Amino acid sequence: MGISIPDVVCPFCGCLCDDLIIHVDNGRIIKNEHGCAISKSKFLHHLDDRLEHPEIRDGDSHQTVELKTAISHCVDLLKNARRPLIYGLSSVENDAHREAYKIADLVGAIVDNTSSVCHGPTILGTQESGEAAGSLAEVKNRADLVIYWGSNPQFAHPRHISRFVKPPGEFIHDPRTDREVWVFDIRKSITATLADRFVKVEPGRDLEVLSALRALVRGHEIDVSEVGGVPIDTIRELAERMKSAKYGILFFGLGLTQSHGRHHNVDAAIRLVQDLNSYTKWNMMSMRGHYNVAGANKTLTWTTGYPFAVDFSRGFPRYQPGEYTAVDLLRRGEVDVLLNIGADPVAHFPKVAVSHIRKIPVINIDPKRNLTSLFAEVNIPTAIAGIECDGAAVRMDGLPLYLKKVMNPPEGIIPDREVLQMIYEQLEEVMQ
Amino acid sequence: MEVGKLSPEYFEAVAVCELDKTTFSVLDIEEGDPVRVETIEGSVIVRSKLDRRAEPGVAFIPCGPYANMIMNADTEMTGMPRFKEMEAIIFAAKDETILSIEELME
Ligand code: SF4
Repeated sequence: MGISIPDVVCPFCGCLCDDLIIHVDNGRIIKNEHGCAISKSKFLHHLDDRLEHPEIRDGDSHQTVELKTAISHCVDLLKNARRPLIYGLSSVENDAHREAYKIADLVGAIVDNTSSVCHGPTILGTQESGEAAGSLAEVKNRADLVIYWGSNPQFAHPRHISRFVKPPGEFIHDPRTDREVWVFDIRKSITATLADRFVKVEPGRDLEVLSALRALVRGHEIDVSEVGGVPIDTIRELAERMKSAKYGILFFGLGLTQSHGRHHNVDAAIRLVQDLNSYTKWNMMSMRGHYNVAGANKTLTWTTGYPFAVDFSRGFPRYQPGEYTAVDLLRRGEVDVLLNIGADPVAHFPKVAVSHIRKIPVINIDPKRNLTSLFAEVNIPTAIAGIECDGAAVRMDGLPLYLKKVMNPPEGIIPDREVLQMIYEQLEEVMQ
Repeated sequence: MEVGKLSPEYFEAVAVCELDKTTFSVLDIEEGDPVRVETIEGSVIVRSKLDRRAEPGVAFIPCGPYANMIMNADTEMTGMPRFKEMEAIIFAAKDETILSIEELME
């Protein structure tokens, strides 16, 4: 007889859906109720494509080794490194972050999380203009106007709309009539086809459209016929409608942060939301991708005061995006050892950054094989948090949630935090 | 992508360029034919894929090792390369082969 575990949190995307029911039978997950297709695949295929043993590079291949041998090798590499970089952290739970920061502090490393290549510009925008914050429950209960800007949740956050936009809420009795959904994007995405309104923005012109909206919200006239591919009459009408919403929410994605303008786009969006709050209630939220990238920013901020791109080399934390961000450090060829935790920079970084990664020893800590593991000097497999070990993670709106352990990890495999702790303890010994 | 980065599914998913109908007829290619995408950073051959909702002028390559080949690494002091928009020229490349991820990495 199998068991079913209720209220399991899905450790995949920033929605952190907390209503899954996971059925386990005979030591295997056999069913994931309520999860989206990605979540089902994550739970049902958690044993596929795993890194099975700790391994160390030997010429063109990898040799299986004992965990303690792998750990000692990591310790050697980190102890002798002059400019080590610790990167990743957005797909591991909060306790693993703590251990990673301890290592960074001890060896004087740089810590950067994957937000530097996703919502880093959001953070820079926030540092300039302030942070608007509110919960997803508020969206469900109050929002009568929902905007997705440069974001395609139907693809990347499949249950975002079905959990927070489609269901009725306290003040939204019939979402079909009481709630409108708009999509701003450069192309008609799947989400756009479902929306009440799609506004097509020319690539790289988000800043102009946001600024025009702001001007019109404030009652200024603009003497042009279109901005960023959108007719000015449409922008005027949108601005009026935004002012008359009871509670508006602006969700924005990488379409805004990864395109021309980057943090200036977010800055403009924040200021638009601030302006709208002179008339009515508006809020905004970034659509965080990896399940705990929000957590990586939070834990690093609690610990050092800064959310990403933190350098410990002088013995105290310093923050400088563009300088201590992973892509820049690698592009400049500064890093001599990379400790990669739960990320795949070889798959996701530009060519020049990847070619530097190929030249230096990489310590790769991850449950699964990926492109980075192919080139790593040391691979250490770990348990998948939220399936094979517990932990805490932070949802896109800042809500911390507890990840459950639903089954045991494969034989001999331990959580990220324990691997990192072992590295830390051994480093501490040899560096005394 | 929860099936694994070394799987054929991942290759199928990332070695593509989504184009609109008009571009297909202008390039005189069928869906699935290879195309060469060139930017100031370099060029890469990927499989063409029809996106019925797309319009001429904007093509899409999913984030992954193929997109990385043609992406600009300058972050303009933000940490963020320009992942979302690069000017590119697309050519039909019917006789060329799409490299596997391992070949691409060489
Ligand atoms: S929407 Fe995200 S968090 Fe929710 S079930 Fe799907 S992948 Fe998991």
